[in-house]
Amino acid sequence: MDAKTQKYDRQLRLWGSGGQQALESAHILLINASAVGCEILKNLVLPGIGQFTIIDQGTVTQSDIGSNFFLDADSLGKSRAERAAELLGELNEDVSGHWVAKDILSALTENPSFLAQFSMVVASDISRQVAEKVSSLCWTNQHAIPFVWVKTVGLLGTARLILPEHAIVETHPDNVADIRIDNPFPELSNYAKSFDFNTQDTLEFGHIPYVAILLKYMEEWKQEHDGKIPGTYAEKNQLKANIRSGMRSGDDENFDEAINSVLRSCQPTAVPSAIKTIFSDPKCETLNPESSDFWILARAVRDFVNDHGKSGGLLPLSGTIPDMKAQTDSYVTLQSIYKTKAKQDVQEVSKLVDAVLESLGRAPGSIASEKIETFCKYSAFLKVIRYRSLEDEYTQPKTKQIASWLSEEDSLFAQYVLLRASDSFFDDHGRYPGEGNDWEEDVDHLHANVATLLQSWGIDTDVISKDQTHEIQEVIKLITHQYIPMDNTFIFDGARSVSAVFAV
Amino acid sequence: MVDAQTITDNERWAGVYKLLDRNSLIHPEFEPQEEIKEFIQSCKILVIGAGGLGCEILKNLALSGFCDIHVIDMDTIDVSNLNRQFLFRRADVGKPKAVTAAAFINKRVQGVTVTPHYCKIQDKDEDFYSEFALVICGLDSIEARRWMNATLVGMRDEDNPDSLKPLIDGGTEGFKGQARVILPGITSCYECSMDMLSKPTGFPLCTIANTPRLPEHCIEWAHILEWPNVHGERKMDTDDPKDIQWLYETALARARQYNIQGVTYSLTQGVVKNIIPAIAATNAIIAASCCNEALKIATTCAKNLNNYMMYSGNDSVYTYTFEHQRKDDCPVCSTSATKLDFKGDKTLEELMDYLKEKPDVQLKKPSFAVGGKPLYMQAPKQLEEAMRPNLQKPLSELFSSGDELTITDSTLPFSLQIIVTFI
Ligand SMILES: [Zn+2]
Repeated sequence: MDAKTQKYDRQLRLWGSGGQQALESAHILLINASAVGCEILKNLVLPGIGQFTIIDQGTVTQSDIGSNFFLDADSLGKSRAERAAELLGELNEDVSGHWVAKDILSALTENPSFLAQFSMVVASDISRQVAEKVSSLCWTNQHAIPFVWVKTVGLLGTARLILPEHAIVETHPDNVADIRIDNPFPELSNYAKSFDFNTQDTLEFGHIPYVAILLKYMEEWKQEHDGKIPGTYAEKNQLKANIRSGMRSGDDENFDEAINSVLRSCQPTAVPSAIKTIFSDPKCETLNPESSDFWILARAVRDFVNDHGKSGGLLPLSGTIPDMKAQTDSYVTLQSIYKTKAKQDVQEVSKLVDAVLESLGRAPGSIASEKIETFCKYSAFLKVIRYRSLEDEYTQPKTKQIASWLSEEDSLFAQYVLLRASDSFFDDHGRYPGEGNDWEEDVDHLHANVATLLQSWGIDTDVISKDQTHEIQEVIKLITHQYIPMDNTFIFDGARSVSAVFAV
Repeated sequence: MVDAQTITDNERWAGVYKLLDRNSLIHPEFEPQEEIKEFIQSCKILVIGAGGLGCEILKNLALSGFCDIHVIDMDTIDVSNLNRQFLFRRADVGKPKAVTAAAFINKRVQGVTVTPHYCKIQDKDEDFYSEFALVICGLDSIEARRWMNATLVGMRDEDNPDSLKPLIDGGTEGFKGQARVILPGITSCYECSMDMLSKPTGFPLCTIANTPRLPEHCIEWAHILEWPNVHGERKMDTDDPKDIQWLYETALARARQYNIQGVTYSLTQGVVKNIIPAIAATNAIIAASCCNEALKIATTCAKNLNNYMMYSGNDSVYTYTFEHQRKDDCPVCSTSATKLDFKGDKTLEELMDYLKEKPDVQLKKPSFAVGGKPLYMQAPKQLEEAMRPNLQKPLSELFSSGDELTITDSTLPFSLQIIVTFI
């Protein structure tokens, strides 16, 4: 094992070399070297992003040193961006850190395409005005740049994810097994028939794989029921009873496994509705030379599904089976039956991918075969998240939804309202509530801001009475394109140790 | 007159003092007092573990105003720690975690003293533990947590309020984790929630020996069966790459023989060391929550967590906060014995295997006694040999239905009382 694999072992077990490569090619911009900003960057530098840049025009104060681990006593009076970049850079020799001692707005005035060099932007301690500017630049950049806006106040923390679309192939579902007992392909049916259920050899009988047991009893059921699989609860129980009657000793583990799988196997194999939605997405229907690999692959899989002769109307087979009581040979044979079928499906999809690529003027084979294989394997679990823009959040509030969130008991949405109100407070006073000594007076002003906000949503102003660190790993999930990130605003209330996610 | 140090302190802790100087909106009973600030500076806090969680916890405590922090850890730094244990550098590999972490914090955060203890938690006695205001655990071992929990619960004397040591326990696994607050004798304890743990993974010996199907089966064959065959008495060192390499090659050869795919060096290491994936971000989240609770308990600026927060970051971000209930027959925090129904014709060995695997018991090397009379003892050797035949006897020959068994295990600082009813 090389040094890098050793160092990253504990995380490679989660996101593999593909995820790691994605991290290593990322360049993250941190706007403001605040305590929470530096903590976020720390959690990205450690797993090994390629580069980071910190932009911050401030100099280090006592209170920065007291709250930010990546600023020390020697940093006092020096550039915050420079010192934080230095101390964060020490965490990982494979990461290169840069800094800019400027204010983000002036950097953008000097160079309007300043943000285009980054793969993601994370900001904290910025005003709404700055957030809107950065957000719209990120959103409209040629390749949209994900933007994470973080706020912390006292024991309250919130993060908002802003990007047009995020598509994930490796969602890491708990179980990708796709057994198809209800609808076996010919090789599978033949396999099931190869077992002798009348054998006198107890060892052999006790090791008939449950898939073969299920297939035998399901086939018999179908013959007696016009080719239909059990539909009702009573029918499923009857199938279980049929299997149980075939047991010899009463504790044949393989028969137990079969019985335990009846309910799942009686779910007809079909394209999940969430995947159908992806197939009918305009981005899947109408491809263009700018289409991302995700949509090209989605289209090819859709065409595969629609070609009933090849797919039977089903998604490509995942090719994964669970462990089960079986002799080595029969298990390995069964495994290879599923794998072979999965490979055939991948080959069919690959042909379609090449056809699509050609029609778009791209070279056939320009999407790597491993990528096609992964896409097929996880095709039942694909996920596309479309986020709302910050502009929409502000100009087209979901008033009905907001009213309903606020009406829930102990709703954390009140905290969202307070944070929005504190932005309004900043607009009015040029500072955040509670920053000065007259914090009691600030509360009254803040309350007025809350009332104004609620009125603009047409909501009764007495729904909110009062109130206030956290950072998250959302960034990693966005970069690696694995696992599912949140949509779109996360709130953590440290006073009560509770959290919630709202799609505002 | 306000001296220069106070001014600096006030500036430096401006963030924390905003919480401590104001009548809290979140906890109306809270009264700001100078004594509270003095208390967090002077009280002693104990951190168990200087690993992924421990590094984070130490940093957070130091930045929250706690000045007298102790840390216990018996481990030394490994290369694979560097992706998250940010107080360590490549040059530190091989050094004790506790010592290195303490030195780093002491250098980085002025005015904070972290005292390292490079030893096992079991090496310290109750006198040691009683010096602390509260204990935060950032461990990956069930055994160590059970020990710490039982020790702190055992130390509590209802007539002496100072004997109550709040235990804040954090744990992570990949993108998931949990943080909880245990008030010994008041809330549910670690032992009360043992049944929430999943069954320890293991493969049946007959599968490993006769019908391997998965790469893991081949690895376990090399690990459990082939190693002692080839190496005799020599114990395997899972931290020695040479031993892992041997296991990998042996497992690979077996896998080839059976046509099984997927044996890799990394998988071999993962299986034999029972490696749990770990990342910086999840540790940061759980540690933040633990320290948040520590600050709340020490200052009363807000109500503490009652008493369990589960966190999952696989799919979006999800937390679930609830009150875990005490277990009536908890062997640590209650006085009543656990009840168990078991077939009287089963052997003592079968009972032992059952208890080893049962998630809420998880014994390693249990010894059994009934009414003060030993049934089976793990040590000394002569006694073990003399009593071994009992393992094969049916329970009904050894004691009567309804008898109370006393079970001890070297890994547990308490004994289990189980009333066994034959069915
Ligand atoms: Zn208990």
